[in-house]
Amino acid sequence: MVILSGFGQGLLVAMQPENLLYCFLGVFLGTFIGVLPGIGSMAAISMLLPLTFYLDPTAALVMIAGVYYGAEYGGSIASILMNIPGTPSSSITCIDGYPMAREGRAGIALFTSAMASFGGGLIGMVVMAVLAPALASLALNFGPTEYFAVILLGLVAASAVSNGSPVKGISMVVAGLMLGTVGVDITTGAERFTMGIPEMRDGVHLVIVAMGLFGVGELIVSIRANATGAHQNDIDYAKFYPSRAEWKAMIGPIWRGAGIGSFFGALPGTGQTVASAVAYAVEKKVSPNKAMFGRGAVEGVAVPESANNSATQTAFIPTLPLGVPGSASMALVIGALMMYGIVPGPRLLIDHADLFWGLVASFLIGNVLLLILNIPMIGLWVRLLKIPYRYMYPTIIVLICMGVYSLNNNVFDIWLTLAFGWAGYLMRLFRFEPAPFLIGFVLGPMMEEQLRRAMLLSRGDPSVFLTRPISGTLIAITVLLLAWSIYAALKARREGRRIAAFSDE
Amino acid sequence: MRDFLLRLRQVQSTSHGPRAWMGALGGVALLALSLVFIVGGYELGFGSLRRLGTGAFPMITGVILAVLSVAVIAADLRDDSELAQPDWISFAAIGGALVVFALTVGRIGLVPGVFLTTITASLPDPSLKFTGKAILGVIVALGCWALFIGLIDLPIKPFVGV
Repeated sequence: MVILSGFGQGLLVAMQPENLLYCFLGVFLGTFIGVLPGIGSMAAISMLLPLTFYLDPTAALVMIAGVYYGAEYGGSIASILMNIPGTPSSSITCIDGYPMAREGRAGIALFTSAMASFGGGLIGMVVMAVLAPALASLALNFGPTEYFAVILLGLVAASAVSNGSPVKGISMVVAGLMLGTVGVDITTGAERFTMGIPEMRDGVHLVIVAMGLFGVGELIVSIRANATGAHQNDIDYAKFYPSRAEWKAMIGPIWRGAGIGSFFGALPGTGQTVASAVAYAVEKKVSPNKAMFGRGAVEGVAVPESANNSATQTAFIPTLPLGVPGSASMALVIGALMMYGIVPGPRLLIDHADLFWGLVASFLIGNVLLLILNIPMIGLWVRLLKIPYRYMYPTIIVLICMGVYSLNNNVFDIWLTLAFGWAGYLMRLFRFEPAPFLIGFVLGPMMEEQLRRAMLLSRGDPSVFLTRPISGTLIAITVLLLAWSIYAALKARREGRRIAAFSDE
Repeated sequence: MRDFLLRLRQVQSTSHGPRAWMGALGGVALLALSLVFIVGGYELGFGSLRRLGTGAFPMITGVILAVLSVAVIAADLRDDSELAQPDWISFAAIGGALVVFALTVGRIGLVPGVFLTTITASLPDPSLKFTGKAILGVIVALGCWALFIGLIDLPIKPFVGV
């Protein structure tokens, strides 16, 4: 009942003309950037974040969320038509989407992807509306010790479960935590690591770090990826709507994908890519049509798309009631909220109920808008993919420069963006993940504050983190997760060596 | 210029990608960073366990990063696999575009600054002739003028000294 009345209140907020407009702008621009191969939702959010500074917090959050799931929708279009994933999580969609396009069923693949994304998004929204308030009421009892433990778990999950080496992932988180300390210490007022530069007194702006690591870093990578001139399959608009058998084939996978996606989306550190990969693997096992997987199965498009879009919505579950982002995109959401003076956590659902329920209701509106943008207006995005990338990327770099410069009208911010952009490219080249760095950077100040408070309240006794039941349990889970990820990485390396030795023989 | 870029692209695509052991250099950079934070944190003061000082958190994270970066160096030095082929031309051009923007936007104004930034960014693509790059630069510069000054009303001068 509380959920229904909250949702009703949220609908009133989301239906306000201003919020509707920004929801539309968010999903439109998100789809626009998501369609561009190689540029994901992170780059999309960081590029558009400066625009939201002029808005009221609810409109800003609705727009950022729209960009986030709009980019996920858009990502599948390039995957299906060109076999180049627009976002990392839509790479699974390539497996069956591209073969469908090559068989002349591109229209059906795009329709399936839009319907599955819509279904997954709606189911994810319901899961979020039910679970987030329950989690918030549990978290109302948390003190600084528990918060520190939750943040620690979130950080380890985000780094250890990421792709590649867990040691590198955790190093990136810690480096991010360290960057978060730059600037004036809010407790003592002392300057830290500012090198005497006045512009550094307020620390490094979140937009600069995100825009550099993801905007500039991803852009450099995408230039070569798009210069290869991948073949784009044409759409036969007469064959856009699925047959009855195809409709029937997509319904089960949409439900299963949404279930798996909702679960992995809510877990910190896993996110949409893991959700769509696991959902695809499960579907391949349970589907009666398993022989067709990899050769253009409708189920193979429906399941990852449903999973990644439900995960996009449920990613907000730990983010808003606990203030712990499960992914770098959610870290940006937290950073944006804090810029408005809104502290994410259980009080957010009480003190800013309009904002929370307005956001939940905007998911419904945003998903309907995306369905309209992706089915009747699919031709627009297909034409966008035909624009040569040589015209697109210089324009994007100018927009990045303008976005950063507009923060303070200061050229120093551009130099910092350049440093983070080059660092982001080198990180990718040498297999260091930039996402955990950003999560550490956003959570660093919060973690330090909770640590200081916990130590003060416990009169300097660090064992308090282990003796209090909730924090003790969370820290035990963190240690287990860490041990498991190191074991999995060592096992994978041993396996790799064994395969290499076998192929040498 | 176009021939030079084409040749440069050809050399870049036929050369081998760097080896993974070079990632150890990243570990060395992290180690150096951790030392800066340990020393800086020490100078700021650790405080006591009850009242953690300004330097405590940087010191704690610095020590953790130092240990992790040694592990990164050790792991990468044993890895002999090949990394993805780097694209140094795009790396330089995109960096150059940011440098041009930073040097020009305040000195000569938004419109000429954006024009030069667009041309610099488009340099690595030999498929677009200079006239095409210039036309793109004009369109993007005028678009930015309309959007950022006309619509959003940012306090930036479109031209300086005109």
